[in-house]
Amino acid sequence: MQIAYYPGCSLNASSKLYDIQCRKVFSQLGIELKEIDDWSCCGATSACKTDYLRSLALPARNLGIADASGLSELLIPCSSCYSRTLVSQKTLYENSKLKDKINEGLSNKVEGKVKISSILEILLSMVHSGKIPEKLAKKMDGLKPACYYGCLLTRFPADIEISDDVENPRAMEAVCRALGAEPPDWSYKTDCCGASASVNDTETSLTLMSCILKDAIARGANCLVTTCPMCQMNMDSYQERVCEIFGIPKRLPVFFITELLGIAMGLTADELEMEGHFVDCLGLLKGLKLL
Amino acid sequence: MSLPILHFDTETSRTLMEEVMDRSGQNLLACYQCRRCAAGCPVGDYTGMTPDRLIRSIVCGDRESALNNLLVWKCVACYTCGSRCPNNIQTARINETLKEMAKEVRLEPLLPNVAAFHEAFMKSVYHFGRLNEIELMGRYELTDLGRGLKKGAGWKALAASIRTNTRLAISMMKKKRLHLRLQRIKNLSEIRNIFKKTGKANGG
Repeated sequence: MQIAYYPGCSLNASSKLYDIQCRKVFSQLGIELKEIDDWSCCGATSACKTDYLRSLALPARNLGIADASGLSELLIPCSSCYSRTLVSQKTLYENSKLKDKINEGLSNKVEGKVKISSILEILLSMVHSGKIPEKLAKKMDGLKPACYYGCLLTRFPADIEISDDVENPRAMEAVCRALGAEPPDWSYKTDCCGASASVNDTETSLTLMSCILKDAIARGANCLVTTCPMCQMNMDSYQERVCEIFGIPKRLPVFFITELLGIAMGLTADELEMEGHFVDCLGLLKGLKLL
Repeated sequence: MSLPILHFDTETSRTLMEEVMDRSGQNLLACYQCRRCAAGCPVGDYTGMTPDRLIRSIVCGDRESALNNLLVWKCVACYTCGSRCPNNIQTARINETLKEMAKEVRLEPLLPNVAAFHEAFMKSVYHFGRLNEIELMGRYELTDLGRGLKKGAGWKALAASIRTNTRLAISMMKKKRLHLRLQRIKNLSEIRNIFKKTGKANGG
């Protein structure tokens, strides 16, 4: 089975490991990710904060390419790209004048027929269908991941219905439980880590991260797991600084969901390119005899 | 910042409110000040302004407060205010609109770093069709340095800022998470065309 795939700039650079993991994990699950041709940046938060029309037109170009690919489903693992592309599709669907205006400049016109899926939606359906359970090589015993959704998987600046609960989503917990992990309940799963502000308004971002970390630790989590490369990078690379400033003694590895899935399916840390973590994550997995 | 909550200027309020409503697509008149947005705002404690108050100041025609407050610049675009609003008002969209309006009247951003970051981001997308983190960081640092020098900021403060971000860049490189290779798309003219048709042609 083939699914159209939009990696986005982050998965092609600082989170290349996430891209590699996605391709490997999905290939083991019998899905070939077909990268759409000559895709461009979705504009992320920066486009919204500088020009509204541009923030819709940039993802529209990729939507046109995805529509032309002939595949019915488009996987976007990055939460920011997912959110921007979904908002663009929905807005243009509701506003045909705007769609025509944007389509004028595009060689592949937006038709709006491709179904945009987050990585979590696809993984959850594969847990339900039994596809993931049958591929598991080990049980992730002892792993207590605080499932961190961040902002952009459930909240949109437009009217978009999602299949999960906006304030208390549970899809990631369901996937983690299927792997044999025990995700604790906690309060900060959809709170913002301030990734878009980490460079330009660092203090704000560090404060937000400290609340997330403190709650995850208080609830007994031994790691965080996320699907968003912005959240992963932010919570991982700034964690040392956050902990120093806010006096947090513990450190929590920040996993991509594909890392937990990959390990459970028997892939090695090398195959998953897990050396790219700032907070040591292999120690925890080895300690739990998962590696 | 004092907010003239009770002052209502009929001359100016219509124009400001209508302009913001029109450009942001948000129905500000639906706000009945329940403050669910304020309760959920992760930066509300640090801005002296919460989404409900921002809406109120726009409705009251207080252009000065609306265009020049910390909420507009500190908003992390988490969309909590909008998802909790019983009347479906997306304050994040209002913040974006106010940023555009502030820029049009050449108002100096209260947090120039935030503006510089997002503009550097968009310039990188304009140049290559994709974001290159190393270009973004370089461009952002240079803008920061230029502004610091202009404003007569001490060398120590400037050096500290550069040191912090260089340290981050080096640690990212060590982890193979920062790449020197620039990614670019083939059909760049299409991207340039999008930039021409929207906002300003120079990518800023």
